[in-house]
Amino acid sequence: MSGMEIFVLWLEAFITLAIFSFLYKDNSVYHLVESVFAGLSAGYYVGLYWKSIILQQLWEPMTRADNPKWWLFIPGIFGLMMFTRLWPKYSWISRIALAFVMGSTAGIFLITQLHGLVLPQMQKTMLSLINSDGLEASFLAVIVVIGVISTLIYFYFSKEHKGFVGVTAKLGIWFIMISFGAHFGYTVMGRVSLLIGRVQFLIEDWIGSF
Amino acid sequence: MNFWNKIDTLDRRWIYLLVAISVIVPFILPVKLPVYVTPETQQLYDAVENLPDSSIVMLTFDYYPSTIAETEPMSRVALHHLFRKNIRIVTVTTVPLGGPSMAEQVTREMAEQYGKVYGVDFVNLGYKANYVAVLKGMGSSIEAIYPTDNLSTPLSELPLMNEVKNYDDIDFIFVVADNGIVDYWISIVNALYGTPVGCGVTAVMAPKFYAFISAGQMTGLLGGMKGAAEYELLLGQPARATTGMDAQSLMHLLIIGLVLMGNIGYFVGRRQKGKKA
Repeated sequence: MSGMEIFVLWLEAFITLAIFSFLYKDNSVYHLVESVFAGLSAGYYVGLYWKSIILQQLWEPMTRADNPKWWLFIPGIFGLMMFTRLWPKYSWISRIALAFVMGSTAGIFLITQLHGLVLPQMQKTMLSLINSDGLEASFLAVIVVIGVISTLIYFYFSKEHKGFVGVTAKLGIWFIMISFGAHFGYTVMGRVSLLIGRVQFLIEDWIGSF
Repeated sequence: MNFWNKIDTLDRRWIYLLVAISVIVPFILPVKLPVYVTPETQQLYDAVENLPDSSIVMLTFDYYPSTIAETEPMSRVALHHLFRKNIRIVTVTTVPLGGPSMAEQVTREMAEQYGKVYGVDFVNLGYKANYVAVLKGMGSSIEAIYPTDNLSTPLSELPLMNEVKNYDDIDFIFVVADNGIVDYWISIVNALYGTPVGCGVTAVMAPKFYAFISAGQMTGLLGGMKGAAEYELLLGQPARATTGMDAQSLMHLLIIGLVLMGNIGYFVGRRQKGKKA
């Protein structure tokens, strides 16, 4: 292992332990590391966006000798207009660029969400209850249909949740709770995995290098 | 003050200590608890396994460094499997912080193990801002979105990229992600261009995607470190995800115990208050 690699390893271990130190007590080492992270991230983003957007996607295509895309100056100006938000008197100019962004984003998302998410998911919910794949598939299809209908009824507020509607809405709550439980379980697993990753680094990589 | 009352006022740092012990001990004294393979992981494995020799797969590194404990093992198992099967790989990332460098580092490290050549067997396209435009644009022309690779080499100079013009030339997309970009790989790329998409996602995100598996919009799913461990098991190459599973299981037992104790403490406390009243 080179001197630089050892330095990076120890620095990484120090930063990890400094962040964990907050669990015992708020302290200045934790705040120092937190500030370093915030500053580094901001600097990294500025550098990356300058290179990947301003230079690669705007300046270079616009100024190249072979087939220059001169019309890119229009989105370039739109980008500059966003900075007028810094001066309250002229901030209205930024709304023109913002309106363009909102319009185009809404247009793209409407199609993709509808075509790619809503319709296929709806289609796969309209299941045949008597399934040719066997009893288990039929049983699951019944659960999906009951789950979807009862959950939707829970979110139907134009009729009081009493009688049949009330019972169905209550069933919907059960489906929602089971879904929350699954999400919570997976969330715990995810957070634990992150801790395991750090402990793995400390034990196997850092202490293992001694 | 009895035991259950004490739990109510317990300093949370004791719980942190218990958590630390239950995570550290399995690394010192490994138990090697069994890991079983879920149908979703098997489906993803089979999808890759059934790809013909010399197919082209797009592998994404759509994750930040904060989640590498879960996501990097997924990238590694994907690379192991793909390189082992002589499948050619195009890597991309839609995440600016960490994604490009991790794609570069992990892919080159794995390629060296398998003797793969950059530009012929694999290419790293790197990062481009505005993921929706990037995902849609690559459907028409990858070169229009990425005129150069991650190290600024023009795509025309890379032999592999002469065969890959858009999604029509990609046989499978293996997404490894820790954020909402997965939705767009499905709703834009899979839905509009029909390219099959399989995913490895963080555990927090995993429940959402079971609906996509059921609807046939997604071909296989790895959920968190457990998913990566399952894939390692299928490959017969246990690595970091597998070694982490002992700690994972012990921690889950501890959390179940703490939840039970917390609830019992709550009900005992309520009963005592009722008696006093």
